[in-house]
Amino acid sequence: MEVTNKKPGFRNQMTAFSVMAALLILGVVLYIFARTYVKAWRLGVEMSRQAFDQILGRSVPALVGMAIAAVVIAVVSLLFQTMTESKVLTPSMIGFDAVFIGVQTMLLFFFGSTSVLFQNSYVNFLISAGAMVVISLLMYSAILRKSKNNMIFLLMFGLVLSGIVGNGARYLQTIMTNYEFFQLQAAIHVTVNNMNTSIIFLVLPIMVLLIVVILARHRTYNVLILGGAQAKGLGVAYEKELHRNLILVAIGMSVATALIGSLTFLGLLAVNLARMLLKTHRHLPLFIGSAVIAALALIMGQGVVELLEGAIPVTVIINLIGCSYLFYFILKENKKF
Amino acid sequence: MIEIKNISQSYSRRGRKKTLKNINFVVPEKAITAMVGANGAGKSTLLGVMANIVPAQAGEVLLAGEDITKIKPSDVAKKIAFLRQTQQLSVKITINDLVEYGRFPHCGGRLQEIDKQKVEEALGYMNLLDLRDCYLNELSGGQRQRAFIAMVLAQDTPYIFLDEPLNNLDIKYSVEMMKTIRMMVDELGKTVIVVLHDINFAAAYANYVVAMKDGEIVQEGKQEEIISKGVLDTVFDHDFNIVRHDGRSVCLYFDYKL
Ligand SMILES: Nc1ncnc2c1ncn2[C@@H]1O[C@H](COP(=O)(O)OP(=O)(O)O)[C@@H](O)[C@H]1O
Ligand SMILES: [Mg+2]
Repeated sequence: MEVTNKKPGFRNQMTAFSVMAALLILGVVLYIFARTYVKAWRLGVEMSRQAFDQILGRSVPALVGMAIAAVVIAVVSLLFQTMTESKVLTPSMIGFDAVFIGVQTMLLFFFGSTSVLFQNSYVNFLISAGAMVVISLLMYSAILRKSKNNMIFLLMFGLVLSGIVGNGARYLQTIMTNYEFFQLQAAIHVTVNNMNTSIIFLVLPIMVLLIVVILARHRTYNVLILGGAQAKGLGVAYEKELHRNLILVAIGMSVATALIGSLTFLGLLAVNLARMLLKTHRHLPLFIGSAVIAALALIMGQGVVELLEGAIPVTVIINLIGCSYLFYFILKENKKF
Repeated sequence: MIEIKNISQSYSRRGRKKTLKNINFVVPEKAITAMVGANGAGKSTLLGVMANIVPAQAGEVLLAGEDITKIKPSDVAKKIAFLRQTQQLSVKITINDLVEYGRFPHCGGRLQEIDKQKVEEALGYMNLLDLRDCYLNELSGGQRQRAFIAMVLAQDTPYIFLDEPLNNLDIKYSVEMMKTIRMMVDELGKTVIVVLHDINFAAAYANYVVAMKDGEIVQEGKQEEIISKGVLDTVFDHDFNIVRHDGRSVCLYFDYKL
């Protein structure tokens, strides 16, 4: 048999993409089906055309929000792994959720629950996202100056930051009024079920723009995985590239966290599954693959959760699977040495 | 033209321990310059500075009269290709893909006909056409070394810096490699600087020799002038025995005395 196909595994990649796309559609159908007919059947009522349209109308923003957040998380996770030359790191490990909770707590505590800073979802979002970007930039510059052992430094930074901010927030929460405390709970309890849909029209363009900007540079990222010195030798302005991309990662993570809360292991899971299925190092297929897998995991997972009447939150399921995968991955990698 | 002016470099925090000490050098055009010297003499660091990969502490490198740090990185990469002494890759990648990345400075990753042609040529020179779809981590050290050299060749630059390219190569491929370099200079008009440890390869193939010691260029000149007992003994702190064979110098540096 003559092998003329220059891209090894091209057929397989196409198959993998088709299967993923089919599963994604299935996930969407499952999600809508669970929210309409299954729910009606469980309540013992007839599903009217009108009620169906109404629920569908509410499901669409939820689906769009989940899909776009999943895509952003997957894309920036892959980018982050390329920039840190690691396959086990994910930007969530920096402690974005702690920062988000900390900012909300402080806004409420210092400005009060009626303040525009807290109540106006746009202003609130801009402040939390801004804080997350600033903190990640501070951390990156500290790491970049050290340059050695940066993985360990990064994880330690995340741990310490989560600890400090988390404890600080908890202290403020104990001394605020009951009313404020309940307001705060509502604000920081952003999850897939309870998405912050009020900001969706603000974050949607940001996210789409971010995805376009990152995907357009996929060829440069391919060279970056050869390592900093090699990339420099091929004419990539490495330091500039590093800074720029880490800023993009910070923006992406902040936006996603503010929209659907923290999903620590979604990116890690999606990126590594995409690597395993597509068997390539090239960024374009990996970006698309991990984006579809992330969206699939989130939507399909949410569909299953709806079927189970929300017995377990989808975040828990994803973190459980992602965590087990991380364990498996670390053990497998360790065997080599 | 590449010209180095008063280059100093240091890796230590306050710059006390100098790795390069005030080096001045003009790269001989369209010739092979062999760089020799003991481990730690500063050869790799000097090449890194010259290719604008390691920043210098003081002094400047001029590429065609222009300060290299002011030139766009992608333009430098069209002029200078640099094979580093050690390559570590964390990704699984085929020889073909690696060599294609050598074209990145020219095509930004979008391969045109000319780029594909250069990749074929480079793979051909390094005798890798049969192995092109193999993954680098599944190859022998010598095959991997050839793959990285092919990448440098695909970059197709007028200046080529090779830091110990004979690492991991057996005798046959070492000779092939040196012949390929000779051909690139004689037929394609390239300018090559190559770090060599076996002084005999320098004696056999180089036009010029630069000898480094403790961060300084202690000797430089035509191959015939440097490959001599007086110069080599001081550069390497070793007792050399130089014999003539077929009109060329051969260095014997083994201790036979039992
Ligand atoms: N990345 C580095 N960090 C600190 N010191 C270094 C680094 N690279 C080289 N050195 C030191 O600089 C000196 C010259 O090294 P190098 O240029 O690699 O020499 P050569 O290539 O001639 O063997 C050595 O003393 C080495 O220890
Ligand atoms: Mg060296």
